[in-house]
Amino acid sequence: MSDEEHHFESKADAGASKTFPQQAGTIRKNGYIVIKNRPCKVVEVSTSKTGKHGHAKCHFVGIDIFTGKKLEDIVPSSHNCDVPHVNRTDYQLIDISEDGFVSLLTETGGTKDDLRLPTDENLLSQIKDGFAEGKDLVVSVMSSMGEEQICALKDIGPK
Amino acid sequence: MEGSTPTKDLSELQSTMRAIEYACSSIQTSIVIPAMLVMHINPGASEAVILSLGQSSQPYETCEFILENSQVATARFQAAAAIREAAIREWAFLSANAKRNLISFCLIYIMKRASSPDFYVQAKVSSVTAQLMKRGWLEFMAGEMVVFFNQVNQAVVGSHGIDMQFAGIKVLESLVSEFSPSTSSAMGLPREFHEQCRRSFEKDYLKEFYRLTQEAASRLTKKIIESDSVVPEAKVCTAALDLMLQILNWDFRSNTSDTKKNVNVFSAGVRQDGDSLKRSECHLVQPGSDWRDVLILSGHVGWLLSFYAALRLKFSCEGYWLDCPIAVSARKLVVQFCSLTGPVFLSDYGKIHEQHLLQLLSGIMGWVDPPDAVSKTIENGKSDSEFLDGCRALLAIASVTTPHDFDSLLKSMRPIGTLTFLSMLMSEVIKVLMTSNTEEETWSWEARDVLLDTWTAILTPINTINVNALLPSEGIKAAANLFSFIVECELRLASATAFNDEGDSDYLHASVSAMDERLSCYALIARASIDVTIPLLTRVFSERVARLNQQSRKGRGIIDLTETLEELYSLLLIIGHVIADEGEGELPLVPNTIQTQFVVDVVEADKHPVILLSSSIIKFAEQCLSPEMRASFFSPRLLESIIWFLARWSRTYLMSSDGIGEKILDSGHHHENSSKKTLLCFFGEHSQGKLVLDIIVRIAFITLTSYPGEKDLQNSWHELATSFSTEKTLILLDTAHQRSLAQTLVRSASGMRNSDMSNQYVRNLMGPIATYIVEISSKSNVRSIAQQPDILLTVSCMLERLRGAASASEPRTQKAIYELGFSVMNPILVLLEVYKHESAVVYLLLKFVVDWVDGQITYLEAQETAAVVDFCMRLLQLYSSHNIGKISLSLSSSLLSEAKTDKYKDLRALLQLLSNLCSKDMIDFSSDSIEAQGTNISQVVYFGLHMVTPLISMELLKYPKLCHDYFSLLSHILEVYPETFAQLNSEAFSHILGTLDFGLHHQDADVVSKCLRALQALASYHYKETSNGNIGLGAHTLGLKDSTGNVQEGLLSRFLRSLLQLLLFEDYSLDIVSVAADALLPLILCEQGLFQILGNELIERQPNPTLKCRLANALHKLASGNQLSSSLDRINYQRFRKNLNSFLVEVRGFLRTM
Repeated sequence: MSDEEHHFESKADAGASKTFPQQAGTIRKNGYIVIKNRPCKVVEVSTSKTGKHGHAKCHFVGIDIFTGKKLEDIVPSSHNCDVPHVNRTDYQLIDISEDGFVSLLTETGGTKDDLRLPTDENLLSQIKDGFAEGKDLVVSVMSSMGEEQICALKDIGPK
Repeated sequence: MEGSTPTKDLSELQSTMRAIEYACSSIQTSIVIPAMLVMHINPGASEAVILSLGQSSQPYETCEFILENSQVATARFQAAAAIREAAIREWAFLSANAKRNLISFCLIYIMKRASSPDFYVQAKVSSVTAQLMKRGWLEFMAGEMVVFFNQVNQAVVGSHGIDMQFAGIKVLESLVSEFSPSTSSAMGLPREFHEQCRRSFEKDYLKEFYRLTQEAASRLTKKIIESDSVVPEAKVCTAALDLMLQILNWDFRSNTSDTKKNVNVFSAGVRQDGDSLKRSECHLVQPGSDWRDVLILSGHVGWLLSFYAALRLKFSCEGYWLDCPIAVSARKLVVQFCSLTGPVFLSDYGKIHEQHLLQLLSGIMGWVDPPDAVSKTIENGKSDSEFLDGCRALLAIASVTTPHDFDSLLKSMRPIGTLTFLSMLMSEVIKVLMTSNTEEETWSWEARDVLLDTWTAILTPINTINVNALLPSEGIKAAANLFSFIVECELRLASATAFNDEGDSDYLHASVSAMDERLSCYALIARASIDVTIPLLTRVFSERVARLNQQSRKGRGIIDLTETLEELYSLLLIIGHVIADEGEGELPLVPNTIQTQFVVDVVEADKHPVILLSSSIIKFAEQCLSPEMRASFFSPRLLESIIWFLARWSRTYLMSSDGIGEKILDSGHHHENSSKKTLLCFFGEHSQGKLVLDIIVRIAFITLTSYPGEKDLQNSWHELATSFSTEKTLILLDTAHQRSLAQTLVRSASGMRNSDMSNQYVRNLMGPIATYIVEISSKSNVRSIAQQPDILLTVSCMLERLRGAASASEPRTQKAIYELGFSVMNPILVLLEVYKHESAVVYLLLKFVVDWVDGQITYLEAQETAAVVDFCMRLLQLYSSHNIGKISLSLSSSLLSEAKTDKYKDLRALLQLLSNLCSKDMIDFSSDSIEAQGTNISQVVYFGLHMVTPLISMELLKYPKLCHDYFSLLSHILEVYPETFAQLNSEAFSHILGTLDFGLHHQDADVVSKCLRALQALASYHYKETSNGNIGLGAHTLGLKDSTGNVQEGLLSRFLRSLLQLLLFEDYSLDIVSVAADALLPLILCEQGLFQILGNELIERQPNPTLKCRLANALHKLASGNQLSSSLDRINYQRFRKNLNSFLVEVRGFLRTM
């Protein structure tokens, strides 16, 4: 984790462990795994053996849930892997500020203003356009290992 | 040509020709050198130019001009293709004269240009000729055909020189392939047409063609043999041999009465056809008895063999070698003759057939005998093809004879029988295979497969009849020798390849089924001499086990055990195949030979060879229960084979001691079955059975717990079941295994004495799991803890188990499983809410509900049904509220596509849920009617559909499975409850109609026909209702003005229009025509007025007056021909199907013309 992001970390679920050990053999496609210290969604699992009468190894292909980068790892099936704690929370979108931050309404009625808009043009426009059209939008915010990002958008307004 | 097309002038023809030539060459250059793409004409445009030729009206004159004058070969090729396309389309309204002229033009063209070097143009023209002749087959007078055939026959006989002879043979070849159903080309005509053509062709021409070709070939041979170098006759002769082979490959059906019974004269009734699937690999040639003179009495085979023998002598000459085309063709024909059988031979107890085979065998022996010498020359570089053809010939002979006859064939020329020779041959092949030991497919590889097929062909009846009756004693001995050699080689191979593992797992997976097939065949050979082979296997197995124990005692870790382990692995596979069959969903019996070949004393059951062998394996397997032994030599791979063996073995010997097995025992002959009885009793309930079962269960338990993560891998049920429900160790299992374990454990409840016990057992087993789900969902902090990885994992596991249990529902345990599901109904809704972002859990939840409803719905009482239905509706509502209007945002495209796939899987599950609910109306075992509680399934399902359909986007319908499920559900609902459909609100209504429209134009004929059935249901419902004075679909059928003022057509009018459009102008599979007719009829009846208008429009659009008139007539006939009335009964539907078929044949041709 780089230094500049560090101060966000304390805000995310303080006290709860960020990762959890789990046996490699039990991690499946569509599950999560930490590869090279990044939380990833597993998109491919294959097993191989070392020699005919040896033991199995798992080969994981994961996609970083925040950056979308592809990462790979090989672990003996009986060893433990880190599995990230991935949390998702829904907030109603109140405002989009000009400096690239969003303002969100929490369940308790407070606001959350520390979340940046995505930098990717395409994703950005999906949020901005919807908001500009005056739709009632709920965003899902995914958080894991001290990072947060908007991961889904839902129009709850009346049709 | 018809008078309507004026003769084109020369300059016009030439300019078209140039345009086509230009287009053809520009396409070619753009393919060959893309970099130098001709800039001013793009490939698309060139293609359009070429296509337009075939699509234009009556292009024959132009095409003929191009064929005769163009210097560009591809242009000539395209012209020929255009003739075919246009003529097939316009056939119905070409004059008889024009048709004849076309065919004769093509024939003359081929003959005139017989020496042209552009053979592909020739081939195309001859195939066009063949297609045109077939198209006109049923309408031409016999005399007219004779004229054409005389032309061809003259050429074939050779009266116009070598080139024309070759061309003639090629024309015959095109004809034969065009008339053979499997190779015929589509003509837009019903299948009956092809069938009629085939029958008439087989009856009147096929034999004559064969005779001609044969004569032509034998006249050519002299010249070939006499000359020292290659002569042009060789090419013609090769073509002739190929044509004969092709004709013999014809699917003869002339004498169906004979072949139906499939009386194989030579092997009168020994073989049942269902015996072996493998035999289909060897195509049997069964022409009718009328072929006898040509094939048998003419001395044809003798000629062929001596011709080949003469050819062999010439292989040293220039231009001839073992694999030269003529030699290859001749050998293929010889092999084909080996598989000749059926009524063509006299029913003289097979004498003629035997003579025939002897003659062939004596010719073939030279190719493969002596095996060792031949294999040596092949290893030294000689071509393997002759040897392989020899093996194939043996396979062919084995497939048409009984083993006894097969064996005695060779005895008339050698001191040994054919079986002994076969065993020698195969040993030689295996020897070569072992020494070469490469992964590539070598000749020895292929030869072994062919020879194994031969053994299978001979030995398959062993499973139903006594060995001694099947095989001569020498043959049994030969099989025994061969098997022991096979075992020796397999072991050697195993130890040699023990260390090979360079990433060949893919390769291994591909070869698993091939290996299984090979092992089954080895098992057949072993069973032929079972009294020798079982002791042999016991000895070899014990030796290996002893070696293993010795080695591991000497020093763990110092000596590598891998070789011995691998040997045991392959030995276990072989033994498993020899002593037990797979069963494949049936109850496997103790193999016939094991039942009959051992003389047993019931008292000394423990000395029975099979029991000895089985016991020694079980004893060995038992060692894995000790952790120490496990660590020292039970590798995952070895244990895998042990488990496989135990599973296969116990299905035959352990599990069959139930009632069914006993009954079969009782019905059999006593003396024959004593061996089997001994075996089954020994491992039966009162003897060793319990002990063995206990061992097996413990081994299974150990495998499950101590080999974590080994994907490739039942003290007693009690232990396993308890730990399943309470302990956490099993959580480490893979999900699929979680599910199947739960399924297995719940299934085992059916073994309990009564249904109370079974239900109690299921309650005990699954109770803790349900409790877990209930507790977790009722925790106050469920939202925050649910996302923790450990909780996530446990919840997924529990859900998998619930799903496994739900899918194991049986009448006996239904009650308990209903209660189980009932108790988790609310928790499931809670979890669905909590995990709405965790697609994997959502899917699990949905799948559990789907499986649970599927297993329960038919048994439920009214009140229970109401509860379940209500629950399903809440589930649907919740799911749709989470997902409508949701967009995933992610940087990664693969994560986005994953999200789409997840959605597709969810929706598919929901559709399955709806289908399951639907089935309540079809099958219902409950005591009272569900209407008592006011549950109306149709409304429920509609309501569900109403909620699900907005989620189904056109994008998602691109997933084939979802598309199938959706349209099957839709067509089912519309067929069964059209009345509720009318009550849907207009939004849902139009969405469904939109999808129907989409489905109509789908590529998959199955989807299209489902949509058509849905349409039929709607239209016929409306028609019947309105003729009874009801409103039917009511307002939906009326035109509407939408907000922008555009008039929207009513649904029936809309579909009438689009269906006609589809049928007349678009491409579709011919299979849907009759379903389309069923949908079109009620649509027309509902919307008579519109149909008239559409018909008139069509007629008006047609510029050509003759065609206009034809179209008007055809439309009239469609709507009123064939005594069509305005009722919707079966007869009327049938009549309309016929009308539509002939209508389409009549008009589609010219309507689609540009």
